[in-house]
Amino acid sequence: MSSAPPLQMTGGRVRFDGREALSGVDLRVGAGEFLAVLGANGSGKSTLVRALLGLVPLSGGRTEIYGVPPARFRDWKRVGYVPQRLPAGGGVPATVREIVASGRVARRSRWRPASSADRAAVDAALRAVGLADRARDSAHLLSGGQQRRVLIARALAGEPDVLVMDEPTAGVDAASQAALAAILRELAGRGRTVVLVAHELGPLEPLIDRCVVMEHGRVAHEGAPPPPAWSRAAQAEDPHHHGPREGARSDEIGMRAG
Amino acid sequence: MLDMLQYDFMRIALVSAILIGVTAPAVGTFIVQRRLSLLGDGVGHIALTGIGLALLTGTSPLLGALVVCVLGAVAIEVLRARSRSGGDVALAVLFYGGLAGGVLLTNREGGGASLQAYLFGSITSVTARDLYVVAGLAVVVLGIVLVFGRELFLLCQDEEVARTAGLPVRFLSVLIAATAAVTVVIAMRAIGLLLVSALMVVPVAAAQQVTRGFRGTMLVAMGVGVLSAVTGLAGSFQYDLPPGPSIVLLALAIFLAAVVGGSVVRRRRTVPAPVPDEARAGATAEAEVRGG
Ligand SMILES: Nc1ncnc2c1ncn2[C@@H]1O[C@H](COP(=O)(O)OP(=O)(O)OP(=O)(O)O)[C@@H](O)[C@H]1O
Ligand SMILES: [Mg+2]
Repeated sequence: MSSAPPLQMTGGRVRFDGREALSGVDLRVGAGEFLAVLGANGSGKSTLVRALLGLVPLSGGRTEIYGVPPARFRDWKRVGYVPQRLPAGGGVPATVREIVASGRVARRSRWRPASSADRAAVDAALRAVGLADRARDSAHLLSGGQQRRVLIARALAGEPDVLVMDEPTAGVDAASQAALAAILRELAGRGRTVVLVAHELGPLEPLIDRCVVMEHGRVAHEGAPPPPAWSRAAQAEDPHHHGPREGARSDEIGMRAG
Repeated sequence: MLDMLQYDFMRIALVSAILIGVTAPAVGTFIVQRRLSLLGDGVGHIALTGIGLALLTGTSPLLGALVVCVLGAVAIEVLRARSRSGGDVALAVLFYGGLAGGVLLTNREGGGASLQAYLFGSITSVTARDLYVVAGLAVVVLGIVLVFGRELFLLCQDEEVARTAGLPVRFLSVLIAATAAVTVVIAMRAIGLLLVSALMVVPVAAAQQVTRGFRGTMLVAMGVGVLSAVTGLAGSFQYDLPPGPSIVLLALAIFLAAVVGGSVVRRRRTVPAPVPDEARAGATAEAEVRGG
């Protein structure tokens, strides 16, 4: 069991209203690996990571978190997720600290008040995204980029072993991206697993072990991290003409993992 | 204010007003956050069917309403999760079903007058036995908020993230709906079913004008709830007004005051500390323009 990879999908298919958003994806994310998921808008990146976490049901194939199907997985404190969409902001305000602290929920007992370890983790997460001084402010009054950093901090506060982030850097300024890169480097150094969906890798690029390029719900390319030029080209509607650099064919799946 | 405490029924009414003032906004905070502000209304309509059934079978209306409300709230939640159109249509279906059922059943029983009491509330008719039931239910509701509050908070923030935190999302969704139903039953005798959900929503709306956080909003809303329930009751005793509407109108008045007060507070907060001379000059110029 302990040797099971953090995330593994075999032949994963997802249908929305009869249209396939994911058509047969094989993906293994090894422990300690830093995987980037690239691809054009609508290519299925978010669907892939949400399916990996069991948030959308598969219509075919299977997926496992640490060797267990999501429906039966119990050890959720090992998992952190940064969604792509900012919450619409319900009717009630919440402070930055309240939202970040809610990332500890999987680690805290229902009956026990916050421990000093909980508070320390929340403080650390707030500092990591540079929002310690805004902790008492209403989250919905922050800028879009700052709100995204709140969501990153919420995931970090849970101290997960595998961190799945859906475009965490969208709309985040260069300084904060560099700060995020520093945190992720430290996490990677401690053997944590990271799955990152992105259009621009930016300062995160040197951290990446392996890239997956999605196209029409399939893994079109897989391999070593591409040069920066490629990551920009990955946004183009038709990425055929910009192959990743040599030796990055999909039959090398998982070779670099572990 | 004090002379109303000479009467037993007023003492009972006061205690139940305090219980309602505390519980309704506490649950309401989650309901508003989930954008289900009308859930209370839907459940209130369903309660009528429960009361009708109870009158018909000779059981306690409180019990009948409780059972039917909880079932109805669970049904709303299930429909909301299943159906594409979301909670909207689900609520409407139960609204009309509950109302029609209630009127039909109470009509057969010839209980038009008592229906009136439940629709608009009659806090002074609350008996000591009712009060024990209401107090027990209030303890249950507050206990749920206390124990499950953190999980409900994350659920209301983002259901998918709640799932990746391993929270029992379906159970929690049903729990919050059922808790809202219990709250409606707690408040129905006093406030009336048509106005119950005002006390779940309006204090929260008032509180969020002046607060920054979730916890703060909930605590201030509970304060607003108790304040409007107690003063509304006292005012209705003093001036011989129906208590339910008095309480709700007071809550609305506090809401309006909070809107005005909140915008003043926010403006103060955002003004940069050192006021440059130009700004002062500008303000003078503006005053001159207005004056002329
Ligand atoms: N909940 C849903 N219901 C219906 N269709 C969906 C849903 N979610 C995604 N889709 C469809 O699935 C396809 C892939 O969407 P997905 O969100 O995975 O794209 P993406 O690669 O993440 O795009 P982006 O770069 O814009 O985030 C799209 O065609 C989209 O319309
Ligand atoms: Mg996406």
